[in-house]
Amino acid sequence: MATLAPPVPDAGRSPSPAAPPPRRRHRGGSKAGKPGPVTYTLLTLVALVSIFPLYWTLVAGSHTNAEIAATPPPFLPNASLFDNFQAALEQAPIGKAILNSVLVAGSITVGTVLFCTLAGFAFAKLQFRGKGLLLGLVIGTMMVPTQLAVIPLFMMIAELQWVNQLQAVILPTLVSAFGVFFMRQYLISALPNELLEAGRVDGASTFRIFWSIVVPVARPAMAVLAMLTFLTAWNEFFWPLIALTTANPTVQVALAGLGSGYVPQRSVIMAGTLLGTLPVLIVFTILGKQIVGGIMQGAVKG
Amino acid sequence: MTIASGTVREAAIAAPPPAPAATSPARPRKRRQLTRNRWGYAYVAPFFLVFAAFSLYPFMYTAWVSLHETSLSNINGGTWVGLENYRDLLQSEFFWNATRNTFTIGILATVPQLCMALGLAHLLNYKLRGRTFFRTVMLMPYATSIAAATLVFSQLFGRDYGLINTMLEAVGLQAIDWEAGTVSSQVAIAVIVTWRWTGYNALIYLAAMQSIPGELYEAAEIDGASKWKQFLHVTIPSLRPTILFTIVVSTIGAVQLFGEPLLFAGNGTTSGGASGQYQTLGLLMYQQGWSNFHIGQAATTAWAMFMIILVIVGVNAVIGRLRNRADR
Amino acid sequence: MATVSFQQASRIYPKAERPAVDALDLEIADGEFLVLVGPSGCGKSTSLRMLAGLEEVDTGSIVIGDRDVTDSPPKERDIAMVFQNYALYPHMTVEENMGFALKLAGISKDERATRVREAAKILDLEAYLARRPKALSGGQRQRVAMGRAIVRNPQVFLMDEPLSNLDAKLRVQTRTQIAALQRRLGTTTVYVTHDQVEAMTMGDRVAVLKDGVLQQCDTPGELYDRPANVFVAGFIGSPAMNLVTGDAVDGGVQVGGAVLPVPRDQLTRAAASNGTVTVGFRPEAVRLAAPGEGLPVRVEVVEQLGSDAFLYTSLADAPDDVLHSADLVVRTEPRSGVTSGQQLWLSTDRSALHVFDAQTQQRVD
Repeated sequence: MATLAPPVPDAGRSPSPAAPPPRRRHRGGSKAGKPGPVTYTLLTLVALVSIFPLYWTLVAGSHTNAEIAATPPPFLPNASLFDNFQAALEQAPIGKAILNSVLVAGSITVGTVLFCTLAGFAFAKLQFRGKGLLLGLVIGTMMVPTQLAVIPLFMMIAELQWVNQLQAVILPTLVSAFGVFFMRQYLISALPNELLEAGRVDGASTFRIFWSIVVPVARPAMAVLAMLTFLTAWNEFFWPLIALTTANPTVQVALAGLGSGYVPQRSVIMAGTLLGTLPVLIVFTILGKQIVGGIMQGAVKG
Repeated sequence: MTIASGTVREAAIAAPPPAPAATSPARPRKRRQLTRNRWGYAYVAPFFLVFAAFSLYPFMYTAWVSLHETSLSNINGGTWVGLENYRDLLQSEFFWNATRNTFTIGILATVPQLCMALGLAHLLNYKLRGRTFFRTVMLMPYATSIAAATLVFSQLFGRDYGLINTMLEAVGLQAIDWEAGTVSSQVAIAVIVTWRWTGYNALIYLAAMQSIPGELYEAAEIDGASKWKQFLHVTIPSLRPTILFTIVVSTIGAVQLFGEPLLFAGNGTTSGGASGQYQTLGLLMYQQGWSNFHIGQAATTAWAMFMIILVIVGVNAVIGRLRNRADR
Repeated sequence: MATVSFQQASRIYPKAERPAVDALDLEIADGEFLVLVGPSGCGKSTSLRMLAGLEEVDTGSIVIGDRDVTDSPPKERDIAMVFQNYALYPHMTVEENMGFALKLAGISKDERATRVREAAKILDLEAYLARRPKALSGGQRQRVAMGRAIVRNPQVFLMDEPLSNLDAKLRVQTRTQIAALQRRLGTTTVYVTHDQVEAMTMGDRVAVLKDGVLQQCDTPGELYDRPANVFVAGFIGSPAMNLVTGDAVDGGVQVGGAVLPVPRDQLTRAAASNGTVTVGFRPEAVRLAAPGEGLPVRVEVVEQLGSDAFLYTSLADAPDDVLHSADLVVRTEPRSGVTSGQQLWLSTDRSALHVFDAQTQQRVD
């Protein structure tokens, strides 16, 4: 029988115009069916378990030691919160620690986002000899435990007399293999080659293309990477514990010191923990939705 | 178009018309590359400079250190001892104790965590009211630092006034000295890890679930599969790469477990309990290097940890590949 | 404005079996609208990208005006390109998109605004200057892409399937608009498409490519009337030309049980290679003959288009195994009353016959 197709179909061309990459979040076939009361009960239970330790930090941190030890224990916050804050600030330099952590996590975030966007773009869109090998190296090191690096790093900072200095915890964490991979995965799909070619035809230099075309397109992924990096850097524990002392700590180092007094005062420890965690929790409350979105997006691309 | 012209066209492909005489022989000349080849290096250079200085070089140097008898006070002047540190490590009961603990805590922390995350993702995948709220709340533990989480949980697990013991007693059970027992301390540490990471992994699974085409479920529905069968035969197989990925990531994390056991007793002791009942490899390495100042030994332990990770990742990769092949 | 010339230009991808573009020779006149057409993978886009400087030229050279640009980067070629997916910068407004090249060229803000506005007026985009591409329809995006090219007033426009993302109706509309615009601006244009209708309606000349090799470059009329080989004959025209291959016999070519008459000297030359000849005739060149005269066929399907009708037929006396290789399409009056299953006899004018050597596939006149 005669086929009536148009002559020489040139099928398979992707019809995606200059629009942003398709969002997959709202796909049609969400597991339909209404969730029953069991589902809500279970989820609420999990939510309670997720939140309770944090809530209990507030409860314990706002009572005196004797009050928390009572039976039954208290379940509502009390008035001693600020006294305990005071005591915690006396026992550990938490104020300074928060400032340090902001500095450290901020610098690491800026550096990581910048370097990883540059490298991620190159791995996603440029051709150069040894690219596969270098990318393999980056991905490979995601498996290497932190422990493997700390000894020479410690020697290095001892040599440079950086012990107890913030650059000792900033510099080694300034890049992240995950970040490079994350940016690469994003840019592969979000940045059409034609856009770069249009830039070249329009007469843009290589760095102009990066600055005026790649960065604006990469911005959503950069924001996600920034949030995740900040969170990770803020919570970084092992290396700061080695490189810093309680004289010039980050929050995590200060918290570790808080627990090691001779007579640990539970309520003071909890108040200190609350102080050190509060900044992140505030950021998280504001940006939680974006962070959730970012993690899920990264999971699909990764 | 008729079939006729189609067949003729096929014939034409088989016997192409003579090309306009290809006078120029193939002599690809070396040209200034228009595709900006060299620029790639400029873009990756900043990353790799930092990376080489603070990651690659230390990794290599650790290997070198592990072959020396070195102490923290005598950083550069170690004596060459070859593989002696490795021999010592393999004969050290502390190493085997820590390895055992790392594995048991790792399994206690990873298996329930990932199973729960999978179930949780399934629940979150319903069309929920307050969906964003649930997702965000479940990620809160992930935003809490190891130090903060451990301090809180070590209070909750406290022997005398810990909330968990108070509740056990309230329902007529015996209070447990969580920190002192081997199993109980390891369970408690595993609970901290599980608490911090379940929500995060649930989100990863949820993202993967949402990228499963809805038609697959509709087809299964038409084929008469129950919800549970759909979960078993559509969701789980589609999630397999993601599950493998999270297993790998979680095990890498578990092998490096450090902050939780360090702070679990509340006072930052590196021994991991009175009898080392919850000392992990990460903790042992820290103890060797920064409490006992045996840097060479610590480097050896670090390499041992890396080897363990390599083996685990390798096994996972092989399993993944075998399953893939079985599918084909 | 300038001439463009490909001189034995080739592109060979590493590890490829054959060149993506093989020794392309093409002279494009100043102000000409040249269309590159061919099936996917024929090298038409690669040729255009070589001209743009986005693809390397491995051998041969490319000249724009009197300047050899073979090794020049795109920005030194004074060309503007319209991409298939438009490649509009998603974070810039329409105005910024159109003015970006001018901004990079260091043109003052005022002049930029003037030129963008002029182009926007021509393209009926004035109302959308402050919008971002995301907020535009497909047709509007396409026009912005055009606008980005024309504000630069370049020597050459390069267009890579600029209509393939539009729906059918809009495509026809935009097709004429682009052709009219090009004539008005008089800018040399190289246009790539896989759609032969687009090629025929828009181009001053059309270059047909296949497997990286230029098959024929001529005006649409010449391509249609005198295709240089079997491929061009089958590619140009819709429905395609009827092509039948058979042994040369006395007085013509054996097709099924009948003989298609072909002039003797033409037949001799066409059969010189191996004795088989491919004969082609367009659907509109077929006449319904009196019963018993010409080729007997059976009507399989009647396709009513309103203005005319196409009969898809098969040779009535052909054995089953050759049936499909001998399907013939006939154009008739719209209401001829022919129904499927009917038996008809076809004949053609000798002057409307295209004769090809079945071995070399080349035209024989």
